[in-house]
Amino acid sequence: MRYYTALSKTAGIVIAIIIIIAVAAGAYYYIQSQKAATGKTVTFVPLTGDFNKDIINVGKALEQNGIKTVQFSVWSGGDPNSVMRIYGIVEAAYRINNIWKQNNINVEIKITTRYVSNPNSVYEDYINKWSLGQAPDIMANGYTYIASLASEGYILDLTPYLNNYTSFLNQFYPTLIEAMKWKGKIYGIPQDTEARPIYIRRDVAACAGLDLAGLAEKIKDGQFTWSDLYKWALKVKESGCAPWGLIHRKGSAHPDLIQFIYAFGGKLYDEKTGKLVFDKAAVYKWFTVEKTFADHGLLPHDMMSWDWAKQIHPTVVDGKTLAFIGGTWHWFEWQTKAYYTDPKTGQQRPLTAEEVHKFFYYTLFPSGIKGKHGLTLSQPFAWMINSKAGEQNPNYDKLKDLYHELAFLVVVKASDPDIIAIHSLISGHLPVTKTAAELIKNKTWVEELKSLKIKLDPVVLNNIKSIIEKTVNPINVQFLANVTYMLEYTTFTPKHPQYPKLASLFAEALDQVLRDKMTPAQAVNFIVEKINADPDLKNSVEIVGEIPQNWTFP
Amino acid sequence: MAKSNLFSKIKGFIHSDAFIFLLPAIILIVVFYLIPIAVSVYMSFTPLRNWNIQRYIHEFVGFENYWRFFYMVTHDPTVQPIFITTVVFIVITLMVNVLGGLGLAIATFFMGEREASGTQLLWLLPRMTPIAVYSMIWYYFFHGSAIGTLNSILMALGIIHQPIDWGQSIIPWGPWMIIIFVNGLVGVSYGMIVFTSAISNIPKELVIAARVDGASNWNITKNILIPLLKWHIVYVTTWQMLSLLTTYDHIFLLVEWGLVNRYWGTTWALYIYNMAFTAAEKDLGLAAATGVILVIVGAVLGLLALKIMGFDKMVKEPRGDI
Repeated sequence: MRYYTALSKTAGIVIAIIIIIAVAAGAYYYIQSQKAATGKTVTFVPLTGDFNKDIINVGKALEQNGIKTVQFSVWSGGDPNSVMRIYGIVEAAYRINNIWKQNNINVEIKITTRYVSNPNSVYEDYINKWSLGQAPDIMANGYTYIASLASEGYILDLTPYLNNYTSFLNQFYPTLIEAMKWKGKIYGIPQDTEARPIYIRRDVAACAGLDLAGLAEKIKDGQFTWSDLYKWALKVKESGCAPWGLIHRKGSAHPDLIQFIYAFGGKLYDEKTGKLVFDKAAVYKWFTVEKTFADHGLLPHDMMSWDWAKQIHPTVVDGKTLAFIGGTWHWFEWQTKAYYTDPKTGQQRPLTAEEVHKFFYYTLFPSGIKGKHGLTLSQPFAWMINSKAGEQNPNYDKLKDLYHELAFLVVVKASDPDIIAIHSLISGHLPVTKTAAELIKNKTWVEELKSLKIKLDPVVLNNIKSIIEKTVNPINVQFLANVTYMLEYTTFTPKHPQYPKLASLFAEALDQVLRDKMTPAQAVNFIVEKINADPDLKNSVEIVGEIPQNWTFP
Repeated sequence: MAKSNLFSKIKGFIHSDAFIFLLPAIILIVVFYLIPIAVSVYMSFTPLRNWNIQRYIHEFVGFENYWRFFYMVTHDPTVQPIFITTVVFIVITLMVNVLGGLGLAIATFFMGEREASGTQLLWLLPRMTPIAVYSMIWYYFFHGSAIGTLNSILMALGIIHQPIDWGQSIIPWGPWMIIIFVNGLVGVSYGMIVFTSAISNIPKELVIAARVDGASNWNITKNILIPLLKWHIVYVTTWQMLSLLTTYDHIFLLVEWGLVNRYWGTTWALYIYNMAFTAAEKDLGLAAATGVILVIVGAVLGLLALKIMGFDKMVKEPRGDI
């Protein structure tokens, strides 16, 4: 019993000492953290436009506030080769960390990434998770989302930051900066852009006796229109050279098909009223063209629900169609993904650059009107910064401005010419700045990239190594140079919060037309009814024009 | 007086053993049923969209979402097919579920134990199979191209020469047939289990006595089994009807994969889901209003079903003069 009492006493003393030490340590830590929190610390750094100076000042301010690690997340999506949409941010953080290290600033940025095949699902997740504080700090996504994200207050207005970064802003092509605006304010930094050429199979055309010489010029000048392409497709089908005359992407990729509206002289947005436009005549012509192709077996009736990897790409790369409405990035995707069935081995494999060059001719999207020039459509991707960027980091309420500035500077760094140029060279998207476009022409730099001698974060290099090996070559560099002219003929889809709703109606109606469930006129009237049935949409859309009575195709 | 009577009744109930006994269930009902319904009703009076809770949750728009719903019902050409589809889907699938379940339970009652277990297990497979896998099986079975199992069988037999796009080209019965078939198979097993369990509780003496008197299987079914299963038939019918009114998981996949027509294959519950989760603009206020109306319709239908099937009589206390 005595033994038990003595032991309890000792144990009691030990426990008391432990408690006292723990309380003292806790109190010390609390006082220190309070000092840091209430002391004269910097919670905002005026930006100067000198990147190095600004990033050092922000780093010092964070350090002064006791921050050692800043955690940011970046989300994006797209084709498998466009991973620089996330690794661009990883690389930018790596470069900033190095600057801080060189200046003895003990702060580090850590980036977590998420990349999926469908950018729309990234947008969906972003809005679903924003209120929960689980949306990413930075997102690379289509500029069309800027309108809805900005109107909901989900993304940061970058205008105040960019006012101090005018020389940075001036590097970008002005049309792209315009695309980043919503109600006069800039909400995104261009990440990439592209053109949507029509690819024509050279071998299929040759088989049907079609001469491709000068076709691009004819389309550019409006001498070769959709009527001519239809006749070509028919000839291909009749001569048995390919089962299909035209293949395009599926329902979720309706921006490609919006080109038809512009090709027939229609418009989608009225600058004066700020309203969307539903042009009945142009949409009727678009649907009629596609229906005519489908009715003659030149385009599949269930085109809008084809599978990307199992149907669309294999049909195109195996030469089972004359034409394909695609994008510049497909030129590169076909070189990295095993869509092609090798006739010798029967195995699926990617095409080589030489094969892609041999098989595919590319040109602008033809006009629907004789004499009207061809066109293309761009949907630039934008870096967008969460209006709650940095929320997962310590002391957010107090250091919010610093975290936002840091997120902005990370995006500025991710716009370094070499990061943009690498993205273009491995994904087939067009560079968004003049300096990046110049860099792509620099043979020494391209050679360094190809031989992997370029200085990059080892994590980034490791992740894009295999894509670089497959895609960086003179043929692709030349391709990028050759398609750049298309940007002079580019069009955009409108930035309006209600536009995605209208666009999904186009896709629904077209699907019904292709499946022969509606005539083009019924489909146009169906869209009108759907617009009128939704009060929000009705208030946002002007319905113009009439279904043409005497217009025929081809 | 009536008010104080009600309060004293509630007070009495709270202090009773029954309350303690029912407390866990009451907590579950409040947390998982009543609060979500209250939240949905609240949401239906807000302009909540795109999950922007912080911005819209304190804005009040009155009955605007309900007005928008009725406006869409009367103006949108794709909404009417959805409501017709919902009615047809519920009526036919309910018949399949209840009659199928009842038929299976009775059939297995007359089988040997081994055959009965095997048959019941077979019919339980659709319910045991994960939704995506189960839907995938029927997706390939009804696929509109030559790779579809049904098409390839019919083509091999020479009945058809071109594949038929069942869910897209035969409107509206094609998509209806598919969604009813797929959901019907899942629902049958539920009725089968309830009825089998109920039949096993029927005193064997009744059946044996009937057999001794020379009754056939049909006579036993008509005069003994079905009358004694009346309570269970009411329960399964009401339960399944309400389940079908709110089900959308299998249908969502079949519509999403393009197997069935988007309008003639979508039910009211799926329409609400799409409005809130998959539409270009997540119109949550409108979806909540549509959901509230669905709950009201469900409640009315449930009460109506119980009334028609004489639920009151079944729960009436015995007169005590037996």
